Amino acid sequence: MGILINKKTKVITQGISGKAGSFHTEQGILYGSHYVGGVTPGKGGMEILNLPVFDTVYEAKKKVNPDATLIFVPAPYAAEAILEAEEAQIPLIVCITEGIPIKDMIEVSQVMRSSKTSRLIGPNCPGVITADECKIGIMPGYIHKKGKIGIVSRSGTLTYEAVWQTTLLGLGQTTCVGIGGDPLNGTHFIDVLEMFEKDPETKGILMIGEIGGNAEEMAAEWIAKHGTKPVASFIAGVTAPAGRRMGHAGAIVSGGKGTAEGKIEALKKAGVFVAHTPGEMGIAIKSALGEKK
Amino acid sequence: MNTHEYQAKEILKKYHIPIPKFGCASSAEQAEKVLSELGIMEAVVKIQVHAGGRGKGGGVKLAKGKEEILKVAKQLIGMKLVNNQTGSKGVIAHQVLITETIDIHKEYYLGAIIDREKARAVLIASPEGGMDIEEVAHKYPDKILTLPIQLNGKMRSYHLIYLAKFMGWKGEMAKEGMKLAANLAKAFMDTDASLLEINPLVETKDHKLLALDAKLSVDDNALFRQKEIERMYDATQVSIYEAEASKHHLAYISLEGNIGCMVNGAGLAMATMDTIHFYGGHPANFLDVGGSASKEVVKEGCKIILSDPSVKAILVNIFGGIMDCAVIAEGVIAAVKELSIKVPLIVRLEGTNVENGKRLLKESNLAIISADGLDDAAKKAVGSLKN
Repeated sequence: MGILINKKTKVITQGISGKAGSFHTEQGILYGSHYVGGVTPGKGGMEILNLPVFDTVYEAKKKVNPDATLIFVPAPYAAEAILEAEEAQIPLIVCITEGIPIKDMIEVSQVMRSSKTSRLIGPNCPGVITADECKIGIMPGYIHKKGKIGIVSRSGTLTYEAVWQTTLLGLGQTTCVGIGGDPLNGTHFIDVLEMFEKDPETKGILMIGEIGGNAEEMAAEWIAKHGTKPVASFIAGVTAPAGRRMGHAGAIVSGGKGTAEGKIEALKKAGVFVAHTPGEMGIAIKSALGEKK
Repeated sequence: MNTHEYQAKEILKKYHIPIPKFGCASSAEQAEKVLSELGIMEAVVKIQVHAGGRGKGGGVKLAKGKEEILKVAKQLIGMKLVNNQTGSKGVIAHQVLITETIDIHKEYYLGAIIDREKARAVLIASPEGGMDIEEVAHKYPDKILTLPIQLNGKMRSYHLIYLAKFMGWKGEMAKEGMKLAANLAKAFMDTDASLLEINPLVETKDHKLLALDAKLSVDDNALFRQKEIERMYDATQVSIYEAEASKHHLAYISLEGNIGCMVNGAGLAMATMDTIHFYGGHPANFLDVGGSASKEVVKEGCKIILSDPSVKAILVNIFGGIMDCAVIAEGVIAAVKELSIKVPLIVRLEGTNVENGKRLLKESNLAIISADGLDDAAKKAVGSLKN
């Protein structure tokens, strides 16, 4: 079970002929994911990793009917790749690409918000993994362990940190979703929280946020109103100086908005266990579940 | 990427936005030339730095007569501005903008930004100009109007009518103002801006609109298609360490503390800074080496951290996903050997091939302090400063 993807999910890779595209497709296959093809314009008819390559997503849709696509297309062309996947009605679009211009993402966001067929995860994210079933992304597979925690995060390596801690504590994970560090992204905390809420295997949720924007505040509001499962959280950037962009395009405190303090306060009010340090994320969710440390 | 006021004004000029006569100078000779070109006897001289608070910091001066204007220009060129926006090290103004004085009747605010929540570009307008727009939003929320900008850079005609009414513009001025706003919106979208601001937009005594000050920040991710703006990059406005880091495509930000940090991933890098603080230490920098750093990049990162004399300890925190811990270990070992690192070096490795990474560090026989987990690493880094 878990959310979004499972062992039956059929996956293609857009940008499969590139170094990152082929490497992570191979890693996904080794993890046990069901990859069925790839797309690179001009390389249609080839085979990579024994998978058929198509020139367009539309052709891939017709021939192998994928449920999900993993995008590794370079930033200047990534927005088009997302739009192409949406137009071909691929249900789940996972975009790893970092550095897509925000203007391009405005168009993508508008299309995705009104899309009746597709959901976008990312961009600028590690992807999605359902432990022991399907890996669509760049996360190291071995740190995951099938279990009961759903993880949703704006950051990549900080997610690995959380995954690793829940694995070491024996809690394990259902699905881990990296929603990405950009200011405009396809899937938000609330979307994922809703899915975890409905998933019977997910017993607790770990939400990892960071400074900038107000996604965490909105999530806190949602949790207070609709959440029934225990939630723990960590917000990165308590000590980040205002007005400076901390690596991620979305991680900036401006005009006193998007501060870690504001987010932590909102989450605490909603009954969320907030970890003081990132080293305590695992313990925080364990406490939230009512289990002893 | 930030630009200088004079650069933003040059771009606005291309979009037919009226601007008081101005010129830019980086020396007394240039200032004299600018002055004779402008043909003015009274001028405002403004330092060109990538920070606000110039007026309060003494970086904007009014001067009358050629001699005095040149004297002021000479004073301000090379001035260092230090305020909460620049950090304690401050920034140096290598240029000044010299501009004609204007008889101001009223000040407005007009700007454009990206609205993250609505996923679109918006025009922001207020009849209360001159002050920080965030302050206006806080004090007089009903004095701010937000209107959508379409993807093609156009404004809906009826939105422009709202705007004119909201600002209290009538007759010729309403026409002028609507045209100006439409041009600003177009400039915003065309330049891949993340912020384009005219503050204040002034109404002169004879009821003309002029952009008295301008600010433009452009989306770094779009610089590949904004070559003209990319050339406006001024490396003197960031710390030398930041300038060096950007050459190697490393995300680096100077901070005030003394523990140098090298981490992979922005979220984990922030979290590492937070953890150092939690244990009573102060990070000297934010440095994200990226998700797939090579041995060379790790070495360059170490070099940049060490070139900052305030660094008294280094904390390397890597969660290898795609990245192989052994590669990181090799990079760290190479850096220690080549740069003869004198300060304590604390290394925390986790993830892919961690056993090999740890073994390499151990076998190197270098004075590297290994740590298990993020908390342990931060504690050891803070602790190393006390010994």
